[in-house]
Amino acid sequence: MVALVSLLLLAVIVIGALPGSPLRKGLRSIGSVASPAQRGVKFVGNKASDFWAAVTDGMAIREENEELHDEIARLRYQLTQYEEAGIKYEELREAFHIRDTFSNYDIYGASVLSREADEWFAVVRIGLGTTDGVSMPEGDSFAVVDVETNLIGRVIELEENDSTVLPLLHEGFVVSGKVNEVNGIGVTVSGDAALKAEGLCLVTGISENEILEVGAEIVTSGDGGLFPQGIPIGVIESVDYSNPIAITATLRPYADISSLNDVFVMIPYSLIDEWEEEAEESDVPSSAEETEQG
Amino acid sequence: MDRKVLIRKVIVYAVYILLLTSFQVTFPRAISFRGQIADLMFVFVVMTGYFFGFADGAVVGLITGLFRDYFAGPAFIGLDGKTARTVGIGMLVLFLAAAVSSSFFTRRMHRNLTFAFLATAACTLIYKISGHIIASLWTSATSSNSYGLSIGTIITDSILPQLMLNLIITVPMIFLLRFAGPYKKGVNPYLDKEEIGGNTWLTI
Repeated sequence: MVALVSLLLLAVIVIGALPGSPLRKGLRSIGSVASPAQRGVKFVGNKASDFWAAVTDGMAIREENEELHDEIARLRYQLTQYEEAGIKYEELREAFHIRDTFSNYDIYGASVLSREADEWFAVVRIGLGTTDGVSMPEGDSFAVVDVETNLIGRVIELEENDSTVLPLLHEGFVVSGKVNEVNGIGVTVSGDAALKAEGLCLVTGISENEILEVGAEIVTSGDGGLFPQGIPIGVIESVDYSNPIAITATLRPYADISSLNDVFVMIPYSLIDEWEEEAEESDVPSSAEETEQG
Repeated sequence: MDRKVLIRKVIVYAVYILLLTSFQVTFPRAISFRGQIADLMFVFVVMTGYFFGFADGAVVGLITGLFRDYFAGPAFIGLDGKTARTVGIGMLVLFLAAAVSSSFFTRRMHRNLTFAFLATAACTLIYKISGHIIASLWTSATSSNSYGLSIGTIITDSILPQLMLNLIITVPMIFLLRFAGPYKKGVNPYLDKEEIGGNTWLTI
């Protein structure tokens, strides 16, 4: 009995691993039961946490409030200066045709729905799905960033109401990066089983002729086409030159998904334009049919 | 089986599966140590199998595993080098955990309380050790990188913290199944009398 069921489950795993497997669609239907329950638990947990924080943080909040009053006054002054600077920047941007770093990407906000269950069951679900008007072509992926545009991970699966994110620290995560300076050296940043517990990533692909310094900032290089160039990933924490033909380093990511409640998904405008065109095309026959019927 | 018993059993299991699964994937850092997370789903399935037998454990294991796959199904680098999410591993893991725990000295020890902790410890050890072996073999088959974790690191940063956390949450799980569980008095009356040994485990 145990052997039979185990064999059946092994078959499920193999069939489920095939691209476009119907088993994946079957698993999505579990969401109609699981997601509301999980959202309920999240709501109750957050409320309890807020209540507890309100009880315990009273004195600290009062002190913080006074500090924030002073800071607001300072920031208001700064804001007026930045507004003037912003106007000047816009004028210069138009005059010199300067492109914003991520001007080709639209940003979709999403809340973190669920996190890892253990060290192997370690993907994260976020609340962005096809019902939000996005879709992901086969083999494609979207960068997921925090509020300061630091890289968190990438979307590997997009479903109706949510999507699955592979976090930066996951062993399956690989991204091309470079030192954030003009002609900065290129590296490969990946998750690593041994470094994950310390919250670090592995850096490889370092040329023996180049010197990678501790403290150097690594950003995405844009090679490979999945991610735009210039997304901050983290800083180099240590470099191991002991093997000249395989120099490795460790990187501490800026963002930590375990402490975030909201994330942002970067989707290229070119893809959004395609969706709009497709939507328009699918609208045309239906309106034609309506005219014929009328 | 009595209809009332069946209804109670289904409702209690459904509520616990949904609550424990949701709690674990929503607040994983609430009970964690050295990067490991207290595995509520795993311990719940192990305790269900141990106290209430293979049939209950297997069904609860399969359903909890399904939810585990839905929420956090593991992603692996495939033979094509692409990382993809899998379906069914959670079901297999929790089904096997239930199968092991339901036969863990249950006849000899009459499903008594002390052995519940040993059942949790044994199942956790089997899961973690086999998990690391499979992950290591899979990494060397699909990637040019090595698994990277030394045996010492696996023991100190993975197995021992997980073992400790799972043993700690075994205590509330036993109380939950005993006093607010699927069966009145915390005993599955449909198991062999020999296996429950005159309800010896009830003496909490």
